[in-house]
Amino acid sequence: MKDLPRLTQVDIEPFYFGPSATRLFGCYQAPLPGRRRSCGVVLCYPMGHEYIAGHRAYRQLAFRLSQAGFPVLRFDFYGCGDSAGDSGHGHVSRWLEDIATAVAEIRKKTDVAKLCLVGLRLGGSLAMMAGDQRNDIDGIALWDPVVDGKSYIQELISAHQEMLRQYYVQGEAIWTEEEMTEILGFPLTELMLAELSEVNLLAIRSKPANRILVIKSNREAVWNRLREHLHSLTIPCEFQQVPGPQIWKEDMNRVLVPSPILDALVSWLSGVYR
Amino acid sequence: MTEEAVLFGRTKSLVGIITDPPQAKRNTELAAFILLNAGIVHRVGPHRLFVKMARHLASMGFVVLRFDHSGIGDSNVREDKLPFEASAISETQEAMNCLSRMRDSKRFVLFGLCSGTLTSFRTACGDLRVVGAVLLNALLKSPETISASTVSYVIDRKIARSYVHSKVFHVQSWLKFLTGEADYRKILRVLYSRISSVFFARKQIGGADNQVVADLRGLFDRGVSLFFIFSEGTGVLEYFRLKLEDAIEKLNPGKWNVEIIRETDHTFTLLRHQEELLQVVGRWASQTLLNCHRQRA
Repeated sequence: MKDLPRLTQVDIEPFYFGPSATRLFGCYQAPLPGRRRSCGVVLCYPMGHEYIAGHRAYRQLAFRLSQAGFPVLRFDFYGCGDSAGDSGHGHVSRWLEDIATAVAEIRKKTDVAKLCLVGLRLGGSLAMMAGDQRNDIDGIALWDPVVDGKSYIQELISAHQEMLRQYYVQGEAIWTEEEMTEILGFPLTELMLAELSEVNLLAIRSKPANRILVIKSNREAVWNRLREHLHSLTIPCEFQQVPGPQIWKEDMNRVLVPSPILDALVSWLSGVYR
Repeated sequence: MTEEAVLFGRTKSLVGIITDPPQAKRNTELAAFILLNAGIVHRVGPHRLFVKMARHLASMGFVVLRFDHSGIGDSNVREDKLPFEASAISETQEAMNCLSRMRDSKRFVLFGLCSGTLTSFRTACGDLRVVGAVLLNALLKSPETISASTVSYVIDRKIARSYVHSKVFHVQSWLKFLTGEADYRKILRVLYSRISSVFFARKQIGGADNQVVADLRGLFDRGVSLFFIFSEGTGVLEYFRLKLEDAIEKLNPGKWNVEIIRETDHTFTLLRHQEELLQVVGRWASQTLLNCHRQRA
């Protein structure tokens, strides 16, 4: 992995925004003076333990994008990170509203003609679903997005079970699938479960954006199905295979920043929005 | 309860969140809490635990600041190349300055998990404004300064305890044992190696470090309240029992607090353990800080 650029500038503006009862936490990074581009970027985090594991990479990505001339807003969804709400109170439809709030906020912060959403895992899926609901998103960049919510839930269950297997005391029937109420330290409510199982990028029927980038760090078959689906919607899309660690699976004390993937994202955005 | 994002520190590049109590409970005479990074996890803490903790303490009346040290989370890397051990203390003091300036707080309780405990402990030793520390899984010294023989001994004890806990007290294990399904040779081998290491090596490990004892004495002489919390399933607890528990009891008999959260891991992953931790810390804060404050008033 290449040396990471040092984050030395005081260029972050941490702040709360949105309705007072459901305030969201965001970090705005202004573009490097003299290099301003006409597109703003909103970064959508993944959820739960994947949010913790992805935070450092997002911080780096925001820095690199701002250095490349993009105004960037990365924000925590409701019930996540520093935003208002208990961890058990967030759910997909709420999070889609949050993206709308964040888009409105970056428009207030900066006068940009175009907007692009970027997201890792479920953050990418939410970006696509938000784009599907509105018509003002010009570009979407997905990094190993969750294509199918049901498979995602199974993945989460497996990860949780693996954690329990290594737990100090493996209690008898400490947790069963029927009583599934938490995943790796975060609550999993019935509403979350129901809405997550409805997530399906192959069911999107309109054009979520004018152009789409999909970064995939592995060779799963699902990417071919997603590619075919996006082509059937006549969306110009680019699929890039960029080998890198699956950072969302890493232990929280081994936070990784996959430079080649961040480079690919910045390079695509810089190429499209000159 | 409200939350405010702040930038503070010498170069205004440390990012933190101040959680304020409801208006009716605000009291600048109460000590304020400062939550320090657990390893490299940013200020929300493992499993967002620090957000829950900050909100819980704020609901009781405490002002709480949780922030990122330089180079962690959203805070910028320092330019002065100060080693982390020194910069972490300096930045914790800057966090206290920030709360003094913005909330008129005068006394502080530091809250750390894992590496955050060392920063809490060392800052408390050198800054008279610190009146308490909540130390979750604390070693009170850098892990790299602990000898290999001590680490090996502690791990052996942890495994032995885990084995006893998970096998000896489980009905299934006894059924296997009594019905002849158990691997007796394996059991004997494990028991022999663990028990022999526990008994024969202990004398060589020795007690608490002189410097740590001196620092603890200084804190107790100042009346600083220390609350140690340990996860049952960790080597850190074994280390504490081996090296620190007796020394602390000798220094301050009956006037310090320790709590062990049963059957949990290093970062309190399961929700019921997180909830238990909130309650335990809340109880301590109520008894130690709120009651003291009422008595003084």
